[in-house]
Amino acid sequence: MSGVRAVRISIESACEKQVHEVGLDGTETYLPPLSMSQNLARLAQRIDFSQGSGSEEEEAAGTEGDAQDWPGAGSSVDQDDEEGVVKFQPSLWPWDSVRNNLRSALTEMCVLYDVLSIVRDKKFMTLDPVSQDALPPKQNPQTLQLISKKKSLAGAAQILLKGAERLTKSVTENQENKLQRDFNSELLRLRQHWKLRKVGDKILGDLSYRSAGSLFPHHGTFEVIKNTDLDLDKKIPEDYCPLDVQIPSDLEGSAYIKVSIQKQAPDIGDLGTVNLFKRPLPKSKPGSPHWQTKLEAAQNVLLCKEIFAQLSREAVQIKSQIPHIVVKNQIISQPFPSLQLSISLCHSSNDKKSQKFATEKQCPEDHLYVLEHNLHLLIREFHKQTLSSIMMPHPASAPFGHKRMRLSGPQAFDKNEINSLQSSEGLLEKIIKQAKHIFLRSRAAATIDSLASRIEDPQIQAHWSNINDVYESSVKVLITSQGYEQICKSIQLQLNIGVEQIRVVHRDGRVITLSYQEQELQDFLLSQFVMDLKVAARLWFSFLVTNVKTFQKVMFYKITNGVIFVGHSKKFSGIKWKVEILFIKWSCLCLHLALVYYDFFQMFPKDVSKNFDLKCLQINYKHKEEITSKRVLFLKIIIRKCLFSTLKLFTL
Amino acid sequence: MGVTCVSQMPVAEGKSVQQTVELLTRKLEMLGAEKQGTFCVDCETYHTAASTLGSQGQTGKLMYVMHNSEYPLSCFALFENGPCLIADTNFDVLMVKLKGFFQSAKASKIETRGTRYQYCDFLVKVGTVTMGPSARGISVEVEYGPCVVASDCWSLLLEFLQSFLGSHTPGAPAVFGNRHDAVYGPADTMVQYMELFNKIRKQQQVPVAGIR
Repeated sequence: MSGVRAVRISIESACEKQVHEVGLDGTETYLPPLSMSQNLARLAQRIDFSQGSGSEEEEAAGTEGDAQDWPGAGSSVDQDDEEGVVKFQPSLWPWDSVRNNLRSALTEMCVLYDVLSIVRDKKFMTLDPVSQDALPPKQNPQTLQLISKKKSLAGAAQILLKGAERLTKSVTENQENKLQRDFNSELLRLRQHWKLRKVGDKILGDLSYRSAGSLFPHHGTFEVIKNTDLDLDKKIPEDYCPLDVQIPSDLEGSAYIKVSIQKQAPDIGDLGTVNLFKRPLPKSKPGSPHWQTKLEAAQNVLLCKEIFAQLSREAVQIKSQIPHIVVKNQIISQPFPSLQLSISLCHSSNDKKSQKFATEKQCPEDHLYVLEHNLHLLIREFHKQTLSSIMMPHPASAPFGHKRMRLSGPQAFDKNEINSLQSSEGLLEKIIKQAKHIFLRSRAAATIDSLASRIEDPQIQAHWSNINDVYESSVKVLITSQGYEQICKSIQLQLNIGVEQIRVVHRDGRVITLSYQEQELQDFLLSQFVMDLKVAARLWFSFLVTNVKTFQKVMFYKITNGVIFVGHSKKFSGIKWKVEILFIKWSCLCLHLALVYYDFFQMFPKDVSKNFDLKCLQINYKHKEEITSKRVLFLKIIIRKCLFSTLKLFTL
Repeated sequence: MGVTCVSQMPVAEGKSVQQTVELLTRKLEMLGAEKQGTFCVDCETYHTAASTLGSQGQTGKLMYVMHNSEYPLSCFALFENGPCLIADTNFDVLMVKLKGFFQSAKASKIETRGTRYQYCDFLVKVGTVTMGPSARGISVEVEYGPCVVASDCWSLLLEFLQSFLGSHTPGAPAVFGNRHDAVYGPADTMVQYMELFNKIRKQQQVPVAGIR
C-alpha cells in the first residue's frame, strides 16, 4: 500500500443539464437546473399518499415528466394554468396535491377513528375474527394418521373387551346361582296370593282374615324362608321349591267343624270324646305350589277356630231355656227334647302318630255338611258386616250405624221396624234354628214316605218345593184314590215346615198348626186318608143306593177300576136276588151308620177315634170288586164293629 | 203405621183425672186388650224471635217440637197450618243452635203419658195430659194398624171408639177431611196431638176446679 500513491478521486454528480433544445447548428440549449424550492416541489409532487413506497417512484415518474415539461413554475404560470385546466392542475401550486393527499388521508383517518370508536362500543358493530385455516402440520402427515388410528382402535378394543367380560360373568353367575334367581320369582308368585312384608331381614306374611273384617285375636303370621339345603352336584328334584313357608304351630294340620244331630239322650260320660276323623285334604289345584296348599289349610284351621270360639262364647253368654254345654272342643245343645245337636271342632295335626288313629273311624254319617257350610257363610257375613261401607255414614256428619237405622229417624220407624233392623241373633242361635228346621223337614218327609209305603189305598203324593228358605220349606200333599181322582181332588194340603212347627193349609181354607211331634203329623195325615175314603165310599154307596130302585133292570154289576159295568145275566133272578137286594140295602144302611159314627167320633179326642179301626173301612173298600158271598161276611164284621164302638162310646 | 184417631176424653163428673183414666183402662181390659207398656208424647213451643220479625210487625209464628215414644228415634217439628218435619233426634240439638231465631216459650211444655194397650189390630193409648205438675186432661189415641187410608176405615174406628168411649166418641178429625184418600202418616198423628194440646191449653181453668 505504501507504494501506491493516493489517488485523488473527485466525484461530481452527473447533473447534466437537460437539453432543452438542439438548435440547427448543433448548439444545445440547456434547461436551467431546478432551484432548491423547485426541486422540493418536484419531489413533493411525486409523493403518492395512496400507495406504498414502491409505487411512489412510478407515480412520481409520471408526475415528474409533467412537472419537467413545464419547468419554472413561476415563469410560465399562465400557460400552465390553461393547460392545467385542460388536463389537471398539477403546477398551480406544487403543494396542492400534497394538500389533497393529506386531506384525503385525514378523511380516511377520521373515518377509521369513527369506525374504531363505534366498534369499541360494541353496540352497532363488532369485530369478528376471521376463521383462519389451521396451519398445515409441519410434521409428516402419514405418521400422524397411523398413530391416531392406533389409538382409536385401542379404545374400541377396550370397550369390546369390557362387554365380553361382563357377558362371561353373567353366564357363569347364571349357571352357578340359578336357584337364587328362582327364589325371587317364587317370592313374586307368593306375593300375588298373600300379603307379605319385610321386617328386618325376615319376610313375614299374614294369613288371618283381619283385613277382611275378622276380630279374632290370632296374629296369623307366617314366615317365608329360603330353601338352601340343596346340593348343587346332585340332581335337583322335580318338585323342589326354593321357597318354604313356616306356619305357626297351632295352625298346623287340617280342621273342620263337625255338626251332627243325634237322637239319643246325651250321656254325660260321653261328652268330650268326639270321634274325630281325618277328613282327606281337599285336593288342591294341580298347578298350585305346595306352599299354597299349606297356607290355605292353615287359614282354614284359623277360620274353624274362630267359628268355634264365637259359638262357644255365645253358648256360654246367651241364656236359653235349656243351657248349652261346652266341653273341650264340643258344644252340645238340645233343640228338641230327646234330640241332641253337637257342634265340634275337629283339628287333626299332620303328625304320623295321629294318622294311625285317625284311619279307624271313617264314616261321617251324621255329619251335616250343609250346616257346616252355613257356619262358614255366617262367619263371613259377620266379617263383611264389620267392614261394610254401610257402616260408614254419608254424609260424614250423620251418626254411625246401619244405613237404615240412620233413616229411621226421618222416616218415623216404629219399634217393630227398628227391631227388625237390628239383628240380635248370634251365630249359635241361627245355626240351632237351621238345624231344627232341617230335622223337622227330614222327619216330615220320612213320615210321609212311611205312610205312603204302608198304606196302598188311598195314595199319597208329595210335591216338595225346590226353592226353600233356611228356616222354611213347603210341600204339597195330595191324597187320592185309585179311580176316584177327580172326586177326591179336594184333599190337597200345603204343609209349611218352619223351625218349630208345621202349618197345614187345607184346600178349603182351614189352617191347622201342628207342633214338632212326629205323631201329630202322622195322625193328621191318617185322618186325611180317612176323609178321602169316606168321600169315595160315600160316593160308591150313594150310587148303589140310588140304583137299588132300578135294580130290576140291572141284572148284574161288575166294578172294575171304578167303572161299573151294567149288564144282563141270567144268574140273578128270583127270590135269591131279592134277598141279595135286601142285603145290599141293609149293608148300605149299615155303612152309612158306620160313617155317621165315624163323623161322630171325630168330635171326640183322638185316642177314642183311634179305636175305630180304619181297616174295616179299608177292607170294605178294597173288596168292592168281588161280588161274592164274602160280602155278606164283611158286612157282618162292619155291623159288629159299629155296635162295639157304639157300646164303647156309651160306656165312656 | 195405621190410621190413628186422637181425641180427648172429658173428665167424668165428680171424679178426678186419675179416676177417669182408671175407668177407661178397666173398660179396655174387660174388652180383652192386653197391656203393652207405656207411652209418652210431649210438645214444646217455640216462637220466632223478635229480631227476625220485620218492621211491619208480622206476628211471629209458633213452632211446635214434638216427640212420640212410638217413634223413638224421630222428632217432629210443625207449624200451625204448615208443614210437618220428621227428623232425627239430633233436631233438638239443632234447636239450641237456632236460639237466635226461635225462642222457646218455657212455660208451655205439655205432655201426655199413659199406658198402651193392644187389642188385635187396634192399639189404644190412654194418657194423662199434664202441663208442669198439674194434670189437665185425658187423651185417647186409637190406631188401626192394617189400614193406611183414612176414608176406608173411619167407620170401623168409630165403631170401636163407641164401644168403650160411649157417648164421648169424637167426630172425624180434621186431618181426615183434607186428604181422604191419601196415605196416612205419623205426621198426621202429631198434627192431631198438637190440636189436642192447644185445645187443652185454652181450657186451663176448668180441670183445676174439677180436681178439688
